Amino acid sequence: MTSSHGPVDSSDGRDLVIETRELTKRFPGVVAADRVSFSVRQGEIHCLLGENGAGKTTLAECLYGFYKPDSGEILYRGRRVALASPRDAIRLGIGMVHQHFVLIRPFTVIENVLLRAQTPGITLDMRRVEKDLESLCRVYGTSLDLRAQIWQLSVGEQQWVEILNAIHGGARLLILDEPTSVLTPQETEGLFQVLRRMRQSGLSIVFITHKLREVLELSDRVTVLRRGRVVDTVSTSAVTKEDLARMMVGRDVVFQVQPGEAAPGRPVLEVRDLRAFDDRGHQALQGISLSLRQNEILGVAGVSGNGQRELFETLIGIRKPSEGEVLLNGEDVTRASPRRIRQRGLAHIPADRMAQGLVLDFSVAQNLILGRQRERMYRRGPFLDQKRIEGFAKEMITAFEILTPSSRQRTRFLSGGNLQKVILARELSRKIDCLVASQPTRGLDIGVMEYVHRRLLEKRDEGVGILLISEDLEEVLALSNRVAVMFKGKIAGLFESKDIQPQEIGLLMAGMGEKVT
Amino acid sequence: MGESLLQAAVVINVLATMVRTSTPLLFGAIGEVVTERSGVMNMGLEGTMLTAAFVGFLVAERSHSLLLAVVTACLAGGLFSLILAFMAITLDVDQIITGLAMNLLASGGTLFWFRIAYTQTTSQETPLVALLKPWPIPLLSEIPYLGPILFSHNALTYLAFLLVPVIWFGLYRTKRGLQIRSLGEDPRAADMGGINVRRLRYLAVVFGGMMAGLGGAFVSVGSVERFFPDMTAGRGWLAIVIVIAGNWKPGRILLATLLFAFLDAFQLQVQGVGVQIPYQILLALPYVLAIVVLIAGRARSIAPESLGLPYLRE
Amino acid sequence: MTGRPRWRLARRPVVGPRQQVQALALALVGAALVSALLLRVANADPVAGFVALYQGSFGSWPVAVESLVKAIPLILTGLGTTVAFRGRVWNIGQEGQLYAGAITAYWAYVTFPSLPRLPLILLILTFAMVGGALWGLVAGIIRVKAHVDEIITTIMLNYIVVYILSLLLSGVWRDPTSYYQQSPTVGASAQFPALIDGTRLHIGFAVGLIAAIAIYVLIEKTPLGYEIRALGLNPTAAGFQGIHVARTVLVLMLVSGSLAGLAGAGELFGNHYRLKAGISLGFGYTGIIIAMLAGLEPLAIVPAAIFFGGLVNGSYMLQIATGVPAALVSAIQAITLLFLLGGRAAVSYQIRIVRDG
Repeated sequence: MTSSHGPVDSSDGRDLVIETRELTKRFPGVVAADRVSFSVRQGEIHCLLGENGAGKTTLAECLYGFYKPDSGEILYRGRRVALASPRDAIRLGIGMVHQHFVLIRPFTVIENVLLRAQTPGITLDMRRVEKDLESLCRVYGTSLDLRAQIWQLSVGEQQWVEILNAIHGGARLLILDEPTSVLTPQETEGLFQVLRRMRQSGLSIVFITHKLREVLELSDRVTVLRRGRVVDTVSTSAVTKEDLARMMVGRDVVFQVQPGEAAPGRPVLEVRDLRAFDDRGHQALQGISLSLRQNEILGVAGVSGNGQRELFETLIGIRKPSEGEVLLNGEDVTRASPRRIRQRGLAHIPADRMAQGLVLDFSVAQNLILGRQRERMYRRGPFLDQKRIEGFAKEMITAFEILTPSSRQRTRFLSGGNLQKVILARELSRKIDCLVASQPTRGLDIGVMEYVHRRLLEKRDEGVGILLISEDLEEVLALSNRVAVMFKGKIAGLFESKDIQPQEIGLLMAGMGEKVT
Repeated sequence: MGESLLQAAVVINVLATMVRTSTPLLFGAIGEVVTERSGVMNMGLEGTMLTAAFVGFLVAERSHSLLLAVVTACLAGGLFSLILAFMAITLDVDQIITGLAMNLLASGGTLFWFRIAYTQTTSQETPLVALLKPWPIPLLSEIPYLGPILFSHNALTYLAFLLVPVIWFGLYRTKRGLQIRSLGEDPRAADMGGINVRRLRYLAVVFGGMMAGLGGAFVSVGSVERFFPDMTAGRGWLAIVIVIAGNWKPGRILLATLLFAFLDAFQLQVQGVGVQIPYQILLALPYVLAIVVLIAGRARSIAPESLGLPYLRE
Repeated sequence: MTGRPRWRLARRPVVGPRQQVQALALALVGAALVSALLLRVANADPVAGFVALYQGSFGSWPVAVESLVKAIPLILTGLGTTVAFRGRVWNIGQEGQLYAGAITAYWAYVTFPSLPRLPLILLILTFAMVGGALWGLVAGIIRVKAHVDEIITTIMLNYIVVYILSLLLSGVWRDPTSYYQQSPTVGASAQFPALIDGTRLHIGFAVGLIAAIAIYVLIEKTPLGYEIRALGLNPTAAGFQGIHVARTVLVLMLVSGSLAGLAGAGELFGNHYRLKAGISLGFGYTGIIIAMLAGLEPLAIVPAAIFFGGLVNGSYMLQIATGVPAALVSAIQAITLLFLLGGRAAVSYQIRIVRDG
C-alpha cells in the first residue's frame, strides 16, 4: 500500500467506498469538523484517530446522516449523496455502532433486530430472524445467546448485537465509534478478529479510536484529527506509535506553566486507594491515590469514561465509595454529606453547569448563594437577608465581570460563559482550602476560558489546592504543577510539570506506556 | 367461624365472587398496561371508568339494549381518554395532573348529567336497568366446583379473562406490540428506528380507555341495577396499582387482580357470616394491600423506562 | 442543502408573566363558554344561569359572606398543595390529611372538653395540624425510605382514612341519638367564634389568611423556602449543592398535611359542629385545582379560593333558580383546570419560520 500524505488523490476513485471533501460542521460556538477531507477504500479498515473534541464522532455522524454538514460533500461509491437521516444511510448500506448503544435494554437480541427490520406481516417472525442471526454469527465466528435480554449481556456482547443489527440491515460500510472504550482486553481481541473476518468478506470499516495500539494492530490506514482538522492520512505500516502520538497531541503546548509564587505546601486533600462503582455497578474507580497540596494545581488528564466523573462525585460527597479514604485537611470525609464537605473547606465546579451547578430559574443573586443559604451571613433571624444577598451579588458581579442586566436577572438568560462565572464567583469567594474543578471550560469560548484559567491560577497562589479534572489536555498541561493521567479508573502516571512530555502523556491516556510515579 | 367458612359451598361462593369482581379490575389493568407500556400513565383511569359506567347505564336505561350499552360505554371510555392523549402526547402537559383533572371532571360531570337526565328522582327512585345476565357455558358450567366458579359468569367476565392471553400475544408476539413496548422503554431509539411515536401512543391510550370503558360498563350494568355517584369506588386506582404489582406483565397482572378480588370476595363473605371484624377494616384492606404491594415490589419493579416522561423530539 | 423556509412550532424560550396571564384568561374564557354550553344542555338560559351564579355567590352581603365561609377549607388545602408542589412533592393526599386533622382535633376536644374556650380552641388547632401532618408523614416516609411515589400512596391513604373515620363514628364517637354516622354536636366552648358577629364567618378564615401569609413568607423569605424552591426547580443541582433532599421532602409533607388538617378542624368546629364523613366535599382535590390556577403562589391562593367558594355557593342558587344541578360547578372546575393546563402548554409555543441548511 502506498502511503498518502496530504489530500486524497482521486485516482483510486472507483476503489473508494466513501469520501468526504472539505466537510464542515459547526455547532454554536465551535467548529466540530473543519474542512475535513478523507476517504475509505473498499475492503480496508480505516481508523479515525484523535482526542476528545477532535471531531471524530461528528464526522462519523455526518457520514451516517444524523447530522447535516454545513458545507462540503460526501461521496458514496463515487456519487454525491445528501443524507437526510440515518435511514438514508442505512439504505445505502452504511451502518454505525455508536458509543452509547441504541439498543432497548429489556428486549432480547432478536427483538431488537426485529424492531429495526422491515418484515412483512403482523406477527413477529422470530424464527426467521433467529436463523439469520445464527448464520451471521457462524460466519464471523462468534456465538451469542440470541434470546438473552440486552441488559443481561456483557457490554462486548451488546456491542456485537449492534454490529449484527447493522449487518442484518445490509451494511457494507460499518462505522464503529470508540468500540473498545467499554471492552476488556479479551473482548477487544475478539472484536478485532471479527472485524478482520469482515474485511475479508468485503466489508469496509471505519474505526474511531483514541488508542494507538489499536490503530497499529488493526488498521490499514489512519486519519488523524485534531481540533476538527485533518492532520494527516497515513498508511499504518509506515508510522510508529510515537509518530501517531505526536500527530494526535501536537507539538505545541500553548503556554508554559507559570510557577507559583510559593512552593507547594502541606497536603489539603489526600485520597488513598479510593474505589467506587459507577451507576451500572461496574468498578469505575480501581484504587485512586493522590495527594493535593496547597499552592498547586494537580491536573487529572484522560479521555472521558475512565472514571473521572465518579472521582469527582465521590470527592464532593454525592457518590459513596466502596473502599478507600478521602482526607480533607487531615479529617476523614470519605462518607460525609455534600454539605459537610463544603463546610469543611472543599468547593467544586461541576462538569454540567446547567444541570448540576445552577438553578436556572433562580436569579443571579439567588444562584450566588446556592448552598450557602443557611449561613449566618445571609440571614437576619429566621429570614434571608435580601439586602445583604443583593449586596454580595453586586460585589460578585463586579469582581467576576459577570455580564448581566441586574442581579435579579434569571440565570436562564445568561450565556454559558457568564453562567460559569456565576459558579466561579460562588465557589471562589468562599474561604476554602481545596477546589475540585471538572471540565471548567467545556463549551466556553476563548475569552472566558482564559478568564477562568486566570482566576484558577490566582486562587492557587492564594494557597488553595486545585484538582483540575479535564478532558482538554492543553488546558491541563497549561495550568498544572503536576499532571496525573487517568486510565480505566487508575492513575496511570504522575508527572512534575518540568518533566512533562506530551508524547508520553498521549501514550498513557491511550493505555500504552509504563507507569511513572 | 373456621368451619363455616371452609365448607365447600362457601369456598365456591367466595371463589366465584372473586372471579366476578376481578372483571373491572382486569379490564382496567389490561388496558392500562398497554397504555403504560407505550410510556403514558393514565391517572385518569378512575374517571374514565366512571364516565363509561354512567354512559352504559344511561344507554341501557334509554334503549333497553344491553349490547348497545356496553358498546357505547366502551367507546365513551376511548373518547374520554382522548383528553389525556391530546394533553399528554400532543401538548406535552404533565400527565399526572391531567389525569387528576379528568377524574374530577368525570366525578362532577357524571353527577351533573345524571341529575339532568333524571330530574324528578331522588335516590330511592332511580330507574333500574336490567342486569347483564350470566351466560353459563353449557356442559362446562356443570362441572362440580369448577363450573360455578369459572363458567357461570356474564359475557364481560369471560371477555376480560380472555383478553389476558390476547393482550399477552399482542404485546409480545406481534410487530405492533414490539413497537409499543419500545416506546415505553426508549422512545428515542424507537424514533430512530422510524416508528411514529405520537401516533402509536395515541392508539395505546385510546385502547386503554376503551378497556376501562368495558370495566366501567361492568361496574354499572354488569353488577348493579342502578347508577350512583362515584360508583367505581377506587377500582381505577387499584387497576393502576395492579399494573405496578404485576410488573407490567399480563400474566402477573392476572395474579395480582385475583389477589385483590379475592380479598374483596373474602371480606364480603366474612361480613355475611357476621364475624366480629368491623366492616370498615375489611373495606380498607384493598387500599392497605395496595400500599404494601407497592413497597414490597419496589426492589423488583421494572417499569418501562420512559413511563410518564414526555418525548420531545428536538 | 436548500435554504427553503419552513414553518416550525418552536418552544418559546421565555414563558413570562404575560403568557401566564394569557393562559389564565384563556382558561376562564374557555370555562365560561363550556358552562354556557352545559347550561343549554340542561335546558336553561345561559344568561340566567350566570346571573343566578353571581347572585348566589357575591350578589349580596350575606351571600358573599357565605362564599367566604365556603372558601375557608379551600384556602388551606390550596396552600397545602402549593407548598408541596413547589418542592416537586406531589401530595395528592390533602383530602385524607383533612380528615386526619379533623379526627385528631376531635380527639383533643373529647379528651379535654372542659378547658376554657381559648386554650381549647388553640389545642384543637394544634392537634388538627399534628393529625394532618402525621398522615402526610406516612406517605413521606414511604417515599423516602421505600422509594415509592407519593402520588399513589397519598391517594390510597385518602381512602383508608375515610374508613378509619367511619370506624370511629360507628363506635366510640357515635351520636347515640342520631340515625346517621356522626358525632354529637360539639359544645359551645369548642365552636369557633365568628369573625363578624352574627355571621357564619368563623376564625378559620383568619387562620387561612394568616397561613397564606406565613406560607408566602416561608417560601419566599426563608432559607428553608429557598431550599424548597431549589428542590422543585432542579433537584440535581440542589443535591449537588448540599441540600438535604430527603429531609426537605419530609418537612414538606408535614407542612402540607398540617394545613389540610387545619381545614378539617375548620369544617368540624366552625361549620358543621360535628364530626362526620360529609365535612369535606372533595376539598382536598379542589385545593389542587386552586393551587394550579394560582400558579402555586401562596398569596394568589386566597382570591382563587374565594372565587371557587363563590362558585360553590352560587351553584345552590343556580339549582334553585334554574333547576340546573349544582354538580355543574364541579365539572366546570375540572374543565377550567384542563383548559388552564392546555392553555399554558399552548402559550409556551410560538410559530417560527426556520430556514433549513
